[in-house]
Formats: sequence, C-alpha cells, structure tokens
Amino acid sequence: MQLLMYILRRLFMSAFVLLGVAFLVFVASRIVPSDPATLFAGPRPTADQIAAARELLKLDQSLWVQFTDFITSMAVGDFGISYRTRQLIWNDLASFLPATLELALFATGLALVIGIPLGVFAADWKHSWFDTSTGIGSIAAVAMPSFFLAMLLQWVFAQWLDVLPLSGRISRDISLFDPVETITGFLLIDSLLTGRFDAFWDAIKHLILPALTLAAYPTGIAMRLTRSLMIEILERKHVVAARALGLSHRRILFGHALPNAVGPALTIIGLSFAFSLTGAVLVEIIYAWPGLGRYISEAILSKDFPVIAASALVVTICYVFMNLVIDVAQAFIDPRVTVS
Amino acid sequence: MKRRDFLKSATLTGLATAGYFSSTMFAAAQGRKTLTLAYPTSFPSLDPSTSFSNDNAVMANCYETLTRYIPDPETGSGTVSPLLAEKWESADEGRTWTFHLRSGVTFDDGAPLNAEAVKKSIERTKTLAGGASFIWDAVEQIETPDDMTVVLKLAYAQPMDVTVSAGYAAWILSPAAVEQDNEWFNAGNSGGTGPYKIMRNEPGQRCILARNENYWGGRDEDRFDNVVLEISEDPVLAQSMLESGQADWTYGLPYENLERMESNPDLDVVVNPSFQNLVGFMNTKKAPLDNVDVRRALAMSFPYDDVVGAGTNGLGSRARGAIPPGIWGHDPEAPMAMTNLEEAKSILEATGVTDLELTLTYFNGDKLEALASELWRANLATIGVKMNLQPMSWEAQWDLAKSDPANAQDIFMFYWWPTYVTPYDYLLNMFRSEDEPIYNLGYYSNPEFDANLDAAHELSASDRAASEQMFRDTQRMLIADYPAVFIMDLPNVHVVRSDIKGYVDNPAYAHVVFSDELSK
Repeated sequence: MQLLMYILRRLFMSAFVLLGVAFLVFVASRIVPSDPATLFAGPRPTADQIAAARELLKLDQSLWVQFTDFITSMAVGDFGISYRTRQLIWNDLASFLPATLELALFATGLALVIGIPLGVFAADWKHSWFDTSTGIGSIAAVAMPSFFLAMLLQWVFAQWLDVLPLSGRISRDISLFDPVETITGFLLIDSLLTGRFDAFWDAIKHLILPALTLAAYPTGIAMRLTRSLMIEILERKHVVAARALGLSHRRILFGHALPNAVGPALTIIGLSFAFSLTGAVLVEIIYAWPGLGRYISEAILSKDFPVIAASALVVTICYVFMNLVIDVAQAFIDPRVTVS
Repeated sequence: MKRRDFLKSATLTGLATAGYFSSTMFAAAQGRKTLTLAYPTSFPSLDPSTSFSNDNAVMANCYETLTRYIPDPETGSGTVSPLLAEKWESADEGRTWTFHLRSGVTFDDGAPLNAEAVKKSIERTKTLAGGASFIWDAVEQIETPDDMTVVLKLAYAQPMDVTVSAGYAAWILSPAAVEQDNEWFNAGNSGGTGPYKIMRNEPGQRCILARNENYWGGRDEDRFDNVVLEISEDPVLAQSMLESGQADWTYGLPYENLERMESNPDLDVVVNPSFQNLVGFMNTKKAPLDNVDVRRALAMSFPYDDVVGAGTNGLGSRARGAIPPGIWGHDPEAPMAMTNLEEAKSILEATGVTDLELTLTYFNGDKLEALASELWRANLATIGVKMNLQPMSWEAQWDLAKSDPANAQDIFMFYWWPTYVTPYDYLLNMFRSEDEPIYNLGYYSNPEFDANLDAAHELSASDRAASEQMFRDTQRMLIADYPAVFIMDLPNVHVVRSDIKGYVDNPAYAHVVFSDELSK
C-alpha cells in the first residue's frame, strides 16, 4: 500500500514536470529566430504558401491562445503534424521510439550483466592482474569517444572478422524477401511472436555492436563504482561475521555485499538509459540505426518544433518512469532504502 | 534434464532453426537481382504531390512525368524527350498546350493511363498546394477532349513541355492513388506507371522497391528485380558499404576520399556538372554596394580558382553567370570578372570609397560557403577592405535578408537549384525585382532586365531557340551590373560499383538513379 501511494505521488508530481517541459519547449519555439510558417511551407516556399501556412498554424492568433491550444493538444496526445515530414508525429514516434528503446534496453542489459559482475570480481581480487585489467578497461570504456569506439568495433567485427553486420537494424534480405510483421515495433519481440527465429537472430546480431558502443560508458562507471563500494563493504564487520559463520564466498559476495553496493551503479545505468533515448545520435548515425536520436536531431536541425515538443515530452515520460523504476528496484534490493 | 543441459539444447535448436530459415531465405534470394543505393538523407515524405526533397529518388523510379529533360553535355544545353506524353504542341503563343498520351500504359494497380488520370493528378497537386505545386500556377483549366489527350490552358505563356518534366510535383498518379492521403503513401504504397513500385518503407532505414509487373516499357531480364534505397547518413559508413559491395551506388562522400575511390578497381567515380550553383548576392540597396563599380571591384577580388580548387578538389567549375551548363540558355562565353586584386584595388580607389567594412552571412553548416567566405575575406584584406563573417542558421540568415535591405547584410552566400529546367527559374527567382524580398536577396532591381526576362520567358513557350538567345543577352545585362558574385557551378559526384552497367547521371533530377536503365 505504501509502495502504491509512493508511485501515485510520484506520477502526480511528474505531471508538473511534463507541464514545465511543455512550457519551456513552447517558449523556446518562440524565442529561436525562425518562422514556423516558413518551415511548414517547405524547402523553397512561395509567399502564398507561407501565408497559407501562417493561417493554418494559427500563428496570427495571440501567444496565449497558441499556448493553450498547444497544451491542450499535448495533454490528449495530439502531437500534430511534423513540419518536415508532413506526417502525424504519432506515426513517426511509433516507428522510431521502439527502435531506440530496443537498443537502449539491450545496452542497459549489457551494462548490468558486464559492469556489475566485473566490479564485484575486481573488488574480490583486489590488486590482482584481473583488477588492473578491468581498471584499465573501464577507464578506456568511459574515456573513449563513442564515435571512435563505434568505428573501431565496425572495423574489427564487421570489416576485418566479418562476423557481425556493419549497420542497420535488420538485414536487407530479410526486409526484402521475408519481412517481419510489425506488431509492437520491437523487432526482437515481433520476430519471436511470429515465430521468425531467423529474424530474431539477425536482429540480435545487428544489436550487438551499437549496444556495446552505447553500453561502454555506463559499464565502465558501474564497474568502478561497484568495485570501490564492494571493497569498502567487504571489510565491514557483518561480512567478517558472515565469513566466521561459514557462509560460502559466493553467497557473501552476491547475497550480502552486493545488495549494499549496487545502488549507485543502478542509478548510473538508469540515467544512462534515459540519456541514450535521445543522446545516442552519433551511435545511431554511425550504425544507420533508425531511432529517435536521428529523428530528433533532424527535427532540431530543421527546427521542426512540433516534433521537438512531442519528443521532449515522450523522453521526459521515459526518464521519469525510469527513475521511478530505479527507486523502486533499489528499495527491493536494499531493505535500508524505503520508498517513503 | 538438468537446467544446463536444457539451456544447451534450447540454444542449439534455436541456432539450427535460425540457420535453416537463413538458408531458405538465401535460396529465395538466389536468382533475384537487387540494386542497393546508399543515400545520405532520409526520405521524409513519399506523397508524390507534395514531396520536395530527396524523396524524388524514390518517386522517379515509381512514377513518371509527361516528359523528361535530357541534358546534352556536348552543347551544354538539353532537350525534352517524350515519356507518358508521346507528343505535344503549343498554340495561342504558348498559352495552350496539348499533350497526347502514350497508349498501352497502365499504373502499378492495373488502372490504365488516360487523360482523366493526368487531370486528377495535376488537380490533386494544385489542391494540396504543398512542395513544388507552384509549377502549376499558370494552369487555369485542364481539358480532356478525348481519353488520350490533355489540354492545359494557361493564364500566361509558359514552356509547359519543360514544366511537366519537373522532378517534383509533376508525377502522374493512378486514379485510386489520387484519392489517398499522405499517410497512405508514407505507409509504403504507391500508384505510378514507373518500372518499380514501393514494396516496403522502413522509415529512417530503407525503402524497398519491387518491379512493377504492369510496366509499359516491358521487362528486360538484365534489369534489377528489386531496388533498395538504404539511408546511411554517415559518409564513412556509406563508403564502407560501397567498398564491401553492400551498396552499389552512393554520393556525398568527402572530396578528399575520392582519390582512394578512383584507385579502387571495383569502383567508378562519376563526375558531372550539377544544376546547383553558389552565388554571393551583393546588397544593391545599401551604400556603397549600390555603386556598380564597388560591386565590380569586389567581384574582381574573389578567389574563384582557389575556391573551386580547395572547395571541390577542382571538380566544380567557375560559374558563367547564373545559368549553369546543361540548362538551355547557358552562356559558355559570358564575360566574367576574373580575380585581379591590383585592378580591384584601383577601381575601388577610383570610387573614392575608403575604410570599407562589409558583413557577409552564410549558412553555418556549410563547409563550402565557409571556405569561400574565408578566402574572400583574406583577399579583401589585401586591398584594404574589412569583411566580417557571420555564420548563421539558414532561417536566421534568410529572416535577416528578408527584413529591411538598408539594415540587412552586405553579402549573402546562397545556393540555387531549379525546380524544373529553365533559365527563367534562376533569373526570375534570384534577380527579378521583388516588392517583398523572397529569393532576390541582393535586392537587384532593373526594369529593363525585368522586361527582357519576361519577354524571353514568354517567347520560350513558342520559339525556344530565339528565347534561348534572349536569355543569354538578358543574363549578360545582369552580369554587367554585378549584382552578385557568380562563384561556382557545383559538381555532382557519384560513386558506382564498376560492375553496374549503364549509369548516367541526369542533373535535372538531382541524385536520382533511374534504376531500370541499369544492369549488372
């Protein structure tokens, strides 16, 4: 009950966050020197086309009327039409958001299963060659620019070893000869739902390199954070007591020490997930990944404000939701953390 | 069964199944010829009536126009060739155009091409009034005296044989497609008479075309069964795809990489003049640039050869006025200002202008404009002129230019490309007098030039040869007034796998591959 109340309270507060974001986006769209009518009218509009667009977009009305229209439309999920693509923004988001979520979730999964265990073992084998190697590896993962890592991975695995695809989300031949039916937009899920194991395997292969690139930073940070907290916790009295009681080393590490140490790493990984929804532009461009980052970057370059506003709201919702999930997850893992 | 054994068998079964399906698919792929084109930009809208972007790469393979413009590299001019219209004639001094349609043509949905379909297509484009729909502004009435004849009645004379060849807004749709909305087209549907039809659109990733079995041109076994237009915004990735054989064609690669491409026996680098040019408008409404001699001095200070050399590895060419080669009316002998800093300095001194300080605006995302501006500034500094460079977003640059010319920039860097192939498009938009500036961003105004230009345009609807000469003469009048620095005609550089046969670039349809003309 306490948990439910906490979630409801957080959701209520989130509405104000969304309202604030919508307000800022609206203000930005009016401050940036550009004419929405000109943008809407197309790449080389005539004076008549600009005038028609101005009337259609109701730009001749007062700012207050425009703002209330904007907020009420956003509140009911009517994001309108993109200036650039002239399509319903919902349709665009339905196409691009699942691709990005799939990549971000896969990368987050990689960061969790690589970063945290390696941090635990590095702490356990402190000052060993393994600790030194993972230390160097984590620094490299954090310090290396994502575009450079992406190109390096492409060169090694796609061009030199030729074991993974260079780019894209699914092979050309699958799209061409036997495309996967779109149900959820998540290729991994859709291919399993339709019994397309070939497409599932192909999608996994396409995910590996971009996900590794995206996961490098949170993995490195999670590894270092987990290591340092684990070292501290492994020296605490309750761990010594656990050893004295004869508990297995594995149980001490993963059952008693890790739950105390994993919180900050989870927070970092969660924040990285939210960041990668829109911040993975370079990765998406280099791997030709048809995701939200590229869509938003194109919208920003062409000052497509309805798209920017809709994306900002959707990403804020994802961000708020992810934060909530992390907080609740921490409460489950570490009983000292309470949702109250 | 132990958990580990179960996992092991499940993994092996999964891999075996995946392998089976992969091999089945591979077998299906055998014998089908696929052409893969790597494009550096996405295809934002696939509605043929309103599309005004790179989408024409898809349109030109699925839809057709009444005529097609074919540039002639020998003469630097070009001709209009029949496509959906077999022949045409004009009357009433270019105010009435009659197009006779090709018989036996069907759309990809099986509907026959007829005059009513053409009429409905044009009306849809005019009604939606988006993209390049303005090409139909002159059309007042569309008549269909019989099933295979379309008559366009115009409000004013216009060379409609060229207009209907436009790479935007001139596509002819099937009657069923005419009734559809933007969403239907973008969902991956098409309704044209072209050799291919859209099979699948994966936004942001690729657009897949399949052969149109109803194509009136028949099916040559050498030709490709499918065309895949892959979106690859990263030029490094596009280059890798091309080198590894994952793509057959691309463009937009950095000029400095072309030498490596040329030395690769698997690739051909195709360089062709484009119809895009770079100009620097001079603010003719603001002192001292309202003085033609000052403008002449500035034109003579521009480092033309350096910009062509450093900006395009020498692949571009020095512009001869506003009309590039390949466009009828191009004047290869047009007298242009040459770089001569000493003479520029003496002309400037003769005008009595001293301590000249100018502001130049350019689009901040454009490397070539930035380079041209920097090199020009360096030259101007040697003759005592200070140039302030203002890189801006396109919208901000354009907004400033459209404001009061007295407070606007001194020089405006700008690219132009035509919506359809006519010299009028360049001269009208960039240099004809405008009450409210839209694209004449040097604010040039010369009633004699306007009158001659309009007369040449009127004449082009009835006597193309005479109008061509008139356009040349009109352009010379313009050049003598130095309203702009005519910098460069840009090159089209495409890289093609050398086993692809039949590739010819047609700059009238920028970066379009007419896939049905190719084989492997």
